[in-house]
Amino acid sequence: MATRAEPLVAGHWWRVNRESMTLSPGQYWLPDSVWIERGEEQSALARRLRARLPNTPTQVTDELLAAEPHDFGAGKRRLVVQRHQGSFLHHCPAGTTGMVCCNYLVVNFASNCPFDCSYCFLQDYLSNNPATKVFTNVADGLAEIDGVLRAHPERAFRIGTGELTDSLALDHLTDLSCELVPFFAERANAVLELKTKSDCIDNLLHLDPKERVVVSWSVNAASIIAAEEAGTIPLEARLTAAARVQAAGYKVGLHFDPLIAHDDWETGYRDAIDAIFRRLETQRIAWVSLGSLRMTARLKAAIKARPQRGPLLTSELVPGPDGKERVWRGLRVKMYRQMLEWLRQVDDRMPLYICMEPAGVWEKVFGAVPADREVAQRLVAGLG
Amino acid sequence: MNTVDVQAAIRRYAGARMYGAVTTERWLRLPSPDGEALLQLATELRLGENQLRDLWDWAEEIGERDQLTLSRVLSAQPIAAVRTGHLGRNDKLKVIKAVLRRLRFPQLVAVEDRLADLVRTLQLPRNVRISLPEQLEGDQLRIEITADSVAAWRAAASALLAASDTPAGAELFALLGEAP
Repeated sequence: MATRAEPLVAGHWWRVNRESMTLSPGQYWLPDSVWIERGEEQSALARRLRARLPNTPTQVTDELLAAEPHDFGAGKRRLVVQRHQGSFLHHCPAGTTGMVCCNYLVVNFASNCPFDCSYCFLQDYLSNNPATKVFTNVADGLAEIDGVLRAHPERAFRIGTGELTDSLALDHLTDLSCELVPFFAERANAVLELKTKSDCIDNLLHLDPKERVVVSWSVNAASIIAAEEAGTIPLEARLTAAARVQAAGYKVGLHFDPLIAHDDWETGYRDAIDAIFRRLETQRIAWVSLGSLRMTARLKAAIKARPQRGPLLTSELVPGPDGKERVWRGLRVKMYRQMLEWLRQVDDRMPLYICMEPAGVWEKVFGAVPADREVAQRLVAGLG
Repeated sequence: MNTVDVQAAIRRYAGARMYGAVTTERWLRLPSPDGEALLQLATELRLGENQLRDLWDWAEEIGERDQLTLSRVLSAQPIAAVRTGHLGRNDKLKVIKAVLRRLRFPQLVAVEDRLADLVRTLQLPRNVRISLPEQLEGDQLRIEITADSVAAWRAAASALLAASDTPAGAELFALLGEAP
């Protein structure tokens, strides 16, 4: 396991890179301040954070509400260390009525993300509690997962930590992966997915996933990454990290989500696919997902309030049956089918699926609609 | 009007129409010429808050895409033509909304237009009605027959059967399935 004896140097790349929109590889996020819930000061996580952030202002608070800043941007610069109340494990909200579901489960060991993607649903979802939080009682979460896996030995679970946060962007501070990877490596009926836009992979390189952990990267056309994913690293840097984890024994997942219908999207996404498969081994790809940009009214309002906007709001978005706006269906299908064709040209055995789409779209794209649980079973089975 | 007058007029209009604070504040934050252009439109068409917001959102998104100010979008030729025409208020509102939608969703509207052409090409009898899915968010046509006799029923069924074999019928479903 990777250990860091030396304290991290405060870099605040967050502020610097809001202008350049890029993050140099190797520079990881650091908070402006740390707030620790009283009673959790001696938790392993709090002690680790204090050791690694000796120069960051830290305070212990009795009142967690007071730790919440008033704006979303400030929330991304403040780290709150607290005990999680309630259930850790949830069904992925993509399993909305009317959508084909891939039976994905999400487990939340943190909340909010240091990156500032313009399309991110957290701007809406966490608008009232935007602080970046890490939870101290990881063991409780793992016990909860263990209970579910034991209760359903016949099922194949896919469980991800990347719903409310980036799975790895805080790992240089928390070492969470050092608890998760060994835990899942010993579970026969589950696969953990760590989903990221970062290259915080140092810990992973020293762990043995035993084919039970997939490290996934959100990927996009280079112009979209530059315009819409502030604070993240460029595609090439993500691929460098992905190639390293492949070499270390992990399978890699890829998420083209959100696909954005921008000018010359064909060239942008074709180039991205070419770049990806120049660097990665297709036999070590666990799955590739495709998902169209999805927009709630509140997210749209949040995007409109941003000082800089790319092509997000000018593509032809129309409301669907679930109330979310997406690019109109005929164009979505065209984009999915084109992406599918390119990906199958690379390797027609790569497991592919689409996210948050109704059966009719699956049928047009794949020629068939999977039965309930079939997608999850197929994706997990493919990991061998 | 100067900026102060525009802001006062916006407050008066929004207050009289009982607009919510969020919309009013958003309106007041616009550059003065844009706020005034929106006020003129709202006054001409006696727009309620939701009506104004619908037109405003589309106009703003068109402006963002085409690098135009809101006032330029609202005074563009197809919209100006409707505004200065002789339609009544409700018809004007309907037509302006349609014009803005056409500008905001050019690809979608082009496909809708082509589908409407194809339906016309089928030359179905008047008692057969074909409806497209709203916003083309679906791949199914709705086909309705109204009949007051067996003969009318049979004529409609025959015409539909014949239409199903035409290239236009095939193109209809192809276009509903995927953008060209």
